[in-house]
Parts: sequence; C-alpha cells; structure tokens
Amino acid sequence: MANYYNIDDILAEEEFVPVVFHKAANGVVIDPSSETNSVEQGAKVELPLWLAQELYLRQAISISVPACFSQRTRLEIQADAACVDLKSRSPYFYEFGCKIAPLVGDKTIEILLLSAFKIRYKEILTKAYTAVFTTTSKFLTLLTKEETNLYEAAQASMAAFKKWRMGGPRLQRASVLGRKRKPLD
Amino acid sequence: MHGRKAYELVKEFASGEKGHLKIFNNELFERVIEECNEHHNALQSLIRKMQEEGLEVQTAKNADHYGALVHHLSLTRNKRCLMAYVYNRAEIIRDLAWKVGLLHELPSEIQEKFGDSEEQYFKDHSKSLKLYMSQLSLDVNVDMVPPKDPYIKVRVLEDLGSGIILSDKSANFARHSMHFLKRTDAEQYISRGLMEELTG
Amino acid sequence: MASSGGEWSAEQIDDYEALISTTDVELLKKAWRNEKASPEILPFEEALVKRAKEQIQLMEETVDDFEESGHDPLIVSLYQMDLDRVQFLLRSYLRVRLQKIEKFMFYIWKTDTYRNRLSIEEEKFTERCIRDMGKHLEETVLSKMPDNYQSVLKQSVISEEDDMVPEPQLDTFVVAKCERTTRPLYLDGSRQSAGFDSRDDHFQMVPGDLCILRYRPFQEELTSGNISLV
Repeated sequence: MANYYNIDDILAEEEFVPVVFHKAANGVVIDPSSETNSVEQGAKVELPLWLAQELYLRQAISISVPACFSQRTRLEIQADAACVDLKSRSPYFYEFGCKIAPLVGDKTIEILLLSAFKIRYKEILTKAYTAVFTTTSKFLTLLTKEETNLYEAAQASMAAFKKWRMGGPRLQRASVLGRKRKPLD
Repeated sequence: MHGRKAYELVKEFASGEKGHLKIFNNELFERVIEECNEHHNALQSLIRKMQEEGLEVQTAKNADHYGALVHHLSLTRNKRCLMAYVYNRAEIIRDLAWKVGLLHELPSEIQEKFGDSEEQYFKDHSKSLKLYMSQLSLDVNVDMVPPKDPYIKVRVLEDLGSGIILSDKSANFARHSMHFLKRTDAEQYISRGLMEELTG
Repeated sequence: MASSGGEWSAEQIDDYEALISTTDVELLKKAWRNEKASPEILPFEEALVKRAKEQIQLMEETVDDFEESGHDPLIVSLYQMDLDRVQFLLRSYLRVRLQKIEKFMFYIWKTDTYRNRLSIEEEKFTERCIRDMGKHLEETVLSKMPDNYQSVLKQSVISEEDDMVPEPQLDTFVVAKCERTTRPLYLDGSRQSAGFDSRDDHFQMVPGDLCILRYRPFQEELTSGNISLV
C-alpha cells in the first residue's frame, strides 16, 4: 500500500457506507440492531469504508451509494457547485467518491466529482488571490480537505511571491518550535 | 463499531497544527493496543471453533469464517492507525533534528510532548545526520534559503554569552545587541529563535 | 593578479570565468532542479559533486588569499557570492536527496534500481534510518501486536506482499523542458503509461518545448537527459 501511512487516506476510509450482508458473521458487534453478537444474512448495516471494501472484495456484502452522492446532492451541485457545502457531506468528498465508485458500480460519480471540482477549483483560486476576509471565511467552511489544501497552497505561494518582491527577513525561527514565548525579564 | 478509538487517535494527530507535535496520547494509544488483543482473542476462538468442527479455516466460508475475517480486518486497521500515528510524529521529530540539531537542547515545551521512545529516536536521527555530514565534510542543515547577501543584520533575543567563536570572528551576544553576521553563522541561532533577522 | 580597483583587465575576467567554471555550475543547477522536481530519487551525480566540492575549496582559498592581500573588496565579495551560490546548490541537492531517503527508506532499500542510485554515504544513511525507524516502531507498536501481526513490512503474515511500504507517487504532474528530441511515445488514454509505437498518434517533444506531464511515462527521458524538470 503506497499510502499506508497517509493520514488523509486513513481518515477518508473511515467514512460510512450502507451495506447489505449476503453472508452471516459470528462473534462481531458491528450491527447495532442485532440482539446477538452476530450479523445475520440480509442485514442492512452502515460500515466504515475500510471494512466494507474488504468484505465486498470477498463477496460477503454488497454496497449501495452513500448519502454523500444522493440525488439531492447531485442536483445541488448541478445548480451551483461553488456554493454547496461539500465539507458537511464529507471532508474527504473527492477521495471517498473515487474509492466508492468502483465498489458500487456507478460510473456517474466520476463525472459528478470532475464537474464539481472544476467549478470549485476556479472559485478557490480566485478567492485565494483576492482574499477579502469576511466573504472568504464563509466560503472556506464549505471546502473539503483537498480543496482547503489547494486554497492554502495558493495563498502561501502568493505570500511568498509578495515577500520576494518586497524583501524582508528571510530567515525565520523554525516553525516546528511553535509560538514564541515572551522572554522572562 | 470497530476501529473507532484508532480513528480518534489519527484524527487527533490530524487536528493539530501542521508540523507541530501534540503531547503523546498514551491513554488512547494503549486503549487501541488493548483492542488489538481483544480482536486477536476473538479471532483465535472463532478459528478454534472451526477447527474443532473439522473445517478448513481459509476455505469453509461459514459465519465463523466471516466473523474471524472481520476481527482480522479490524486488527490490521488498528495496527495501521497506530503505525501511522507514530510514523507521522516521527516525521515531525526528524524535522526537529534538521532544524534544531543534536548539539542543542530542545526546549522543554517540546520535550514534554515526546512519547517514551521518541526522545531516543530524535537523538538517533540527529546522530545519523551528523555522521553523514562528517563523512562528506559538508553541513547540509545550513544554507536553507538561497543566498542573497553573505552577511545579514541580526538582533540577539536572549543572552547568549560572550566570546562566542564564529567562522570569521568572535562576538559577545548580549541580549538586544545587534550584529552583522555571516548568514550561515546566524542561521542556526535564528532557527532556534535566539536571534532575529533585521532588514531595512 | 592586479589589485587596483576600477576597470577589470581581460586577464582578470578570464581568470574569474575560469575559476567559476560556468559549465559545472549549470550542470549542478540542472541536477538540483531535476532532483527537487522529481518524485523519485535520481542517480547520484558522483563526478559532478566531486568537482563542485573541489571548486568550492578552490574558491574558498582564493577568497582567503584576496582578503589577506587586501584585494579590491568588490571583487572579493563577487567571488564570495558565487562561492555561496555554488555551496547552496550543492547543499540543497544533497539535502533534497536525504529527505527523499527519509520518506521512502524501506522502498529504496528493497528496490535495486533505487538502491543503486545512492552514494556510499547515502547508502549508510539509509541503513541507519531504517535501523532507527525500525527500532522505534518496534518498541512503540510492533512488539505489542499479537504474533503474526508484528512485521514492519507486512500487515500480517497472510499478506502476499510487503503492503506497508510507502512508495513515491510517479503519476504526479511535473513541468518538463525538452533539451533533445524525445523518443516517440504512445501514451494510453489516461496518459499514464507509454510504449514504443510508430503509430501516428504518438507524443514527442522537440528542444524548446515546455510541457506539463505525468512523470511516469517520461522517467527514461529524464534520466537520459532528453528532458529536464523545472
């Protein structure tokens, strides 16, 4: 696994997906509606992706399209992608979508992600370069993790460019050391 | 649901300021390890049950088989989260070794954040870097920004003592004193927050 | 060498240029840029590094001589600045490589192609990194895992391959400049792989072309020097 230690990959795989068990499983407490320590054949459960993925590959379950990618969300995105609060659907909307698409056999998710991303990407870059604090801060709360990273990268490169043009101290206290404490007098 | 504590651990790491260490969460860490052992016990007992019934564990795909599978997957998930927690913290610790180096004491507010084996890892990595540099007779942890002026103006932020020997002279670094230093000499002090660069 | 300030003699200019040896600085800059932009570790430029170190030494001695003999301070500081630049390039080049080693230590160690790209000192560094990291992971996590789950390379004993090893992302996008005409490459629909093909729809760069492309299909074009990264 090239991404074994990747934090975002790990967090993205914690997203829950609706599954149906084709086989029963004993001795596990993953079905809250079950009264016994087991899952019955035919049970409908929400499982985290990391578990669902593997069980699907071993043909124990089938997975349906998660709420993130419901009709409602799709319509909202088609209407005005830049204003949709993707973060509340999932902070890992794109990563999750990419992983789930082959598992539910839905080819339209790819198209949805691409079109949403294209539109929002433009907004992100525009806002990063013309940042006006009040209007931007609301926008930032709608962004997924990946989009936030993009925004911050754009801002950082803008700031670096300005700094290069205007001069100023280039050597800094190592950021890993944290905030400066006031020296004791 | 399985793996939730492990998820909390990773989430806690991710929620920190990027590149900064939070204090090592021993309690949560140990809890996840405990869960690994619980999953292993459950896994073992399901396997034993199958063997007692004369079934091949890998191929007899009954409810016990799938139960064992779920526990195995939960175990590897927990392992992944634990490993990622330590590994990603180690990345920050390596960064400390680069920026602050072995020669100098780490500020106590950082040392407090280390888990048991992390302080040793910091020292080990600093030594590895030093060894490499001495083999090449070249310091690679200075000169971190492209050179503009060979000399820069600095203000000393803390009393560092007198008679400090630099590459081209010796100086007294009393607090608030200002100096014109070779950039490569000043770099390490600035990086540790003991001096600041002045411009204009 | 004449030490008065003012106009430079032709002799002084020649000496200056000979000392700086612009070709090597250019080569070092290119090696540095390639290494910075590439997701994988590139072959170590052993001869170039050796020459750069020698030149730095020579320049340092020259600067010292000039300072002692009261040479024109402007000329001295010009030499000093060039010296600084070469030193920065060399240090940064080595630094970028060390940081790639730190990131992909297990993968580099077990992949012959990459292991062979390391200098002797880098190989020793890699070994120590693995030892230190292995020890650290062992103490904090692996020794506390159940049997069969204690490997640092495999999630469990039933893993078919080393599934815990981070790898460089070769599908990342890079900006590449063409130095010499590239071989014709046939890129598949996703432009993620390339094969040799004389079909019409092949892709080829000519000197002067500047393109944004996926790294993977162009690995060999980079190591052969047909393209360089920006």
